Amino acid sequence: MSKPWRGVLYAVLLIAALYYLLPLYVMLSTSLKTMDEIRAGNLLSLPGAISFDAWHKAWGTACTGIECSGLSGYFWNSVRMVIPAVLISTALGALNGYVLSKWRFRGSELAFAMLLFGLYIPFQVLLLPMAQTLGWFGLARSMAGLVFVHVVCGIAGTTLFFRNFYVGIPDELIKAARLDGAGFWRIFLRIVLPMSLPILMVTLIWQFTQIWNDFLFGLVFSSGESQPITVGLNNLANTSTSVKEYNVNMAAALIAALPTIAVYVLAGKYFVRGLAAGAVKG
Amino acid sequence: MGALAIKNVTKRFGDTHILKGIDIHVDSGEFLILVGPSGCGKSTLMNIIAGLESPSGGEVHIADRIVNDVAPKDRDIAMVFQSYALYPTMNVRQNIAFGLETRGVPKKEQDEVIARVAKMLQMDHLLDRKPGQLSGGQRQRVAMGRALARNPKLFLFDEPLSNLDAKLRVEMRTEIKQLHHRLKTTIVYVTHDQIEAMTLGDKIAVMKDGVIQQFGSPQQIYDTPANLFVAGFIGSPSMNFIPAHLASEGGVIGVSLQSGDAACFAPLLDSQRYAAYVGKRVIVGVRPEQWDLAADGGGLACKINLTEPTGPDTIVFTQINGIEVQARLHPRDARSPGSVLHLRPDMSKAVLFDPETEIRIG
Ligand SMILES: Nc1ncnc2c1ncn2[C@@H]1O[C@H](COP(=O)(O)OP(=O)(O)OP(=O)(O)O)[C@@H](O)[C@H]1O
Ligand SMILES: [Mg+2]
Repeated sequence: MSKPWRGVLYAVLLIAALYYLLPLYVMLSTSLKTMDEIRAGNLLSLPGAISFDAWHKAWGTACTGIECSGLSGYFWNSVRMVIPAVLISTALGALNGYVLSKWRFRGSELAFAMLLFGLYIPFQVLLLPMAQTLGWFGLARSMAGLVFVHVVCGIAGTTLFFRNFYVGIPDELIKAARLDGAGFWRIFLRIVLPMSLPILMVTLIWQFTQIWNDFLFGLVFSSGESQPITVGLNNLANTSTSVKEYNVNMAAALIAALPTIAVYVLAGKYFVRGLAAGAVKG
Repeated sequence: MGALAIKNVTKRFGDTHILKGIDIHVDSGEFLILVGPSGCGKSTLMNIIAGLESPSGGEVHIADRIVNDVAPKDRDIAMVFQSYALYPTMNVRQNIAFGLETRGVPKKEQDEVIARVAKMLQMDHLLDRKPGQLSGGQRQRVAMGRALARNPKLFLFDEPLSNLDAKLRVEMRTEIKQLHHRLKTTIVYVTHDQIEAMTLGDKIAVMKDGVIQQFGSPQQIYDTPANLFVAGFIGSPSMNFIPAHLASEGGVIGVSLQSGDAACFAPLLDSQRYAAYVGKRVIVGVRPEQWDLAADGGGLACKINLTEPTGPDTIVFTQINGIEVQARLHPRDARSPGSVLHLRPDMSKAVLFDPETEIRIG
């Protein structure tokens, strides 16, 4: 590429990066300001003296409705929800993908097509039947119920990821393992799974982001004790106090976003690598 | 004792018939070659022998036992795949050990087997590498090692050399042959390389379109091909197929050959067996090396169109009965294009085919 073009390219990339980073900057700087400073200064100015008061309040004492104990409870709810939901949906996706690509059976193509169809069903459509189902299972308004919903709704996507990745693994590898005396599980655990690191990272990150950021299911299928952080954040922002505490709201939003940001920073390179490996085509 | 018998095996995928009644019998210790063009069903047949696919009909016997319902791992076979199929996340040692481990071989015994195989294939220095860190030839070696780790009754090799460059292929070919001499295990070996087929096999099965065209020793197949396909497939350069009229001259049956203005009558040996075809069109098959220089000035005066020196021989191209014919001559005897050579076919080795059915006559 010639020099001037390279310059243009970098300029475009820089502008795009700034465009996306600006809101983050505003949130971060606002969360570190005092209310006086917010009222006096402008949106883009740096905080005069850095204060973590807003963060403390958002975490521990801000009111979310009638209760005033911040987001901490919601945060741990989300952690307790996201870990099993991500692990179970990813594990089932890997298993489904393995079966649909390497142990085809009569009708497996149809099963896959139906799963794909599941990807395009808007979740709003599911709310009422899902509520009914949870009721039957005795899981209504519980953490287990919420995990169940996320697992069920995540399987279509995770299956697609793994199935498309496994299609690229040569069938002869499976045949060789069968001749070596390995069965369904041994082949999966010893041969296929160790090859799955790129797609495993992609799926874990993808599912974590989806489930952590979910608001709809959290709002509809949980209550009081089991509400996730997105619902907490919403409650906090909507609780009417005499003044809008922008710094607390910003700190709360950042607390809600922090885990996903952390995941991307720590594991982002695997995500990019997994995508680049042609893992998520189609 | 029969090591492998395939009886009327068929295979369908939906409506497409891939194998149409395959019959093969291999004795213990024999080296069987399955050869045929791409897509003729060789790998499918191998998978059926291995039990990785089930036949739509027919029986597979290994060591005189029907194995149709026996799982692949219990058939006492080892297979080398075309793509080698090494487990990419395991190193060479683990690749070889995997099959032993699943069979519950004790660790100490595993180590002994790995040491034996590594020594046999001279790959001690590769044991701790992953397949991705090996060259094509080394991967091929490891794939063989994995198969050798067990002492199976039957080895299945599916085009094991087709991914190697020409020189390495020749080396490995010799090595496989030596290995077979040493181990004396029955081998079924798929290839579409007819030189591999001729050099390695005790028996050759030539396949086309899911049918065995001919099954016999390499020499049988070379000397008396069952039909035009087999005749053309085995041998390089290919057999010349010269269309001709079968005629009887003074009680001797033979064919007339014509090149440019020259013509000659080539009498056939044992010619009475062709009596039924006198007066009819036939195809005369003469291999390139079955032409001799007629030093006496007899034979057929042929104009040379092209020469291809190969080193030990020179292939000369000429025109006989309207088709291009190749003759393999000693370089000393070859002449440059444009000149005329007197060639005489060795009719004792010539084979005749019916142009309609393409089957050998007599
Ligand atoms: N699972 C399958 N479903 C449908 N058709 C198949 C299947 N497996 C193989 N075939 C078809 O069967 C035919 C024979 O395939 P096979 O792999 O046995 O050929 P081959 O002789 O080994 O060829 P090559 O020399 O290229 O390896 C091919 O036409 C192939 O398309
Ligand atoms: Mg094949």
